[in-house]
Amino acid sequence: MEGSSIATMGRDEPRLAPRRRLLPAAVLVIVLAAALILPQLTSNQFYIHLANLMLLNSIFAVSLGLIASVGQISLGHAAFVAAGAYVSALAALSFKLPPILGIVLAGLVTGLAAVLLGKILLRLRGVYFVLVTFLAGQVFTLIVLNWESVTHGANGLLGIPAISIFGLPLSTRLRFYYFALAAFIIVVTFVWALMRSQYGRAFRSIAENVRLAESSGIDVSHYQIVAFALGSGIAGAAGAAMVHYIRFLSPDSFTFNDSIAYITMLVVGGRHTMIGGVLGALFLTPLPELFRGFVGAQHIIYGVILLSVLLFIPNGLVSIGRSFFSKGSEPETPK
Amino acid sequence: MDYSILLAQAVLNGLVIGVMYMLMAVGFTLVFGIMRVVNFAHGEFYMLGAFTGFFTYVYWEIPFIVCLLIAALTIGILGMLVERTLIQPFRSDEMSGMIATLAISVIIQNGAVLLWGPQPRAMPDIVTGTLAIGPFSFPWSRLVVIAAAALIFTAFWLFMQRTRLGRAMRAVAQDTETALIQGIRVNYIYPLAFGMSVALAALAGALMGPVFSVSPFVGLTPMLKAFVVVILGGLGSVPGAVVGGLLLGMIESFTATIFGSLMSDILQLLLVILILLVRPAGLLGQREA
Repeated sequence: MEGSSIATMGRDEPRLAPRRRLLPAAVLVIVLAAALILPQLTSNQFYIHLANLMLLNSIFAVSLGLIASVGQISLGHAAFVAAGAYVSALAALSFKLPPILGIVLAGLVTGLAAVLLGKILLRLRGVYFVLVTFLAGQVFTLIVLNWESVTHGANGLLGIPAISIFGLPLSTRLRFYYFALAAFIIVVTFVWALMRSQYGRAFRSIAENVRLAESSGIDVSHYQIVAFALGSGIAGAAGAAMVHYIRFLSPDSFTFNDSIAYITMLVVGGRHTMIGGVLGALFLTPLPELFRGFVGAQHIIYGVILLSVLLFIPNGLVSIGRSFFSKGSEPETPK
Repeated sequence: MDYSILLAQAVLNGLVIGVMYMLMAVGFTLVFGIMRVVNFAHGEFYMLGAFTGFFTYVYWEIPFIVCLLIAALTIGILGMLVERTLIQPFRSDEMSGMIATLAISVIIQNGAVLLWGPQPRAMPDIVTGTLAIGPFSFPWSRLVVIAAAALIFTAFWLFMQRTRLGRAMRAVAQDTETALIQGIRVNYIYPLAFGMSVALAALAGALMGPVFSVSPFVGLTPMLKAFVVVILGGLGSVPGAVVGGLLLGMIESFTATIFGSLMSDILQLLLVILILLVRPAGLLGQREA
């Protein structure tokens, strides 16, 4: 299936090229217009809140996807999100740093932390890396719980200010929505451009075969640290943005369960493409709302979906869409 | 005098949690050695074992040893089914297999919350009284745990060393393809190894039920500690899991006595990261090719 579509793509490329470029562009414009207008049409605050969470979760999943694009899965992603949130929240509460700068600071601090951690951890490959990111996430939670003089321990931080831009506080859900949408577009565009650059090619070759990449002269650990730092930095900045929206932060805000949720989104959407994380987040974020009232049912459903996707559509929802599109846009190819 | 009693107590506590970590880590490392699967659901089988022990002992009022057998058998069979249906499809893909076990863990844990509720339940001691040696007194309930764990491990070790099946398992762990050529049915070995591994976890859970309490969330800590132990001892190494388990139990008991339990957890995890830096293959592990 996959093989045949690639083969036809190569052969029909010249003829199909203009249409291929036009269709995604048109879809993009329509989706963007809908994203800009739709929230104005509803007065239901809950839907807008859900949309905000979908955008933030998309950023988390895409940033995890960036780390996964060099063939590493981080089980401590939520710890970076939490770290960014704490940096910005504490800077705002203790030093009155404007949240918008706090978000930048959070991104820089978590990115830098990831560089340092990456220099140590990325010597480990595969399973060891996963185990250690898991343990590192636990260490982070324990430190936050223990360091009460700064983090207020389990009581958490209250009264975190909202983001304000040119004196306009983004204190309503709708205002934050446009901020989150802009952030989402910036992140997705950045990752998209990155994956098309020389970096993206290096990432993919590392994911495909570490040893081959290494022997072809690609500095594997350099690229892995870059991917880890960028992915973690984006997660930290997005975590900071989220904390200025939720305006409360405790060690329970971002936990191991959230790390699993990001992985679920990425895998369900399709872990080999950037858009996969977005699709997964858009699909999975609103889902638990259908099953309110059953304690724990939300996690079970996430687990069942994750397992079924792994078993039956290993390349995620993206692959369904892709096979649908390729069937629609080009005639069935003779063998 | 006070110090020596404190010391004896720390040693006993260290041994109790040490043998529990040992049982957890041995199963965890066995599955990794044979199947190359990192089982993130290992702790949930511990939890299921604890619940099985709890229900059979408290409601059926049968001898505890029978409870242990029931827990090992039912959870072992469940483990075989899980391996056969949910893990075997990912045999060639380490990463997907690992993510699958994450999903299994989430489902089991929250299924337990749904079925039995989140609140912890206290389980009565199996035996009461204390053993007095000079100025020291040791509660029998703890000594029984240590003895039982030692027996279980001995049985496991004899099985692995002396039986055909155990030899076959070790052969598969060393080199799957060569084992296949020698006529070993790998398709039977995998579910069997996984079932044995989670049965060990279930036994650990059932044994620790009376020591700690029983709730759907009791699996997380033992699993975390099993990770720490296998990194200490080397992923895939059974002797490493034994040494690492007992060592970690002692370290934990002593640091907790001196610095408090939260600090003890942080120190342990930092120790792991340190070990990984200095000796990535673990204390007794072999460097991977």
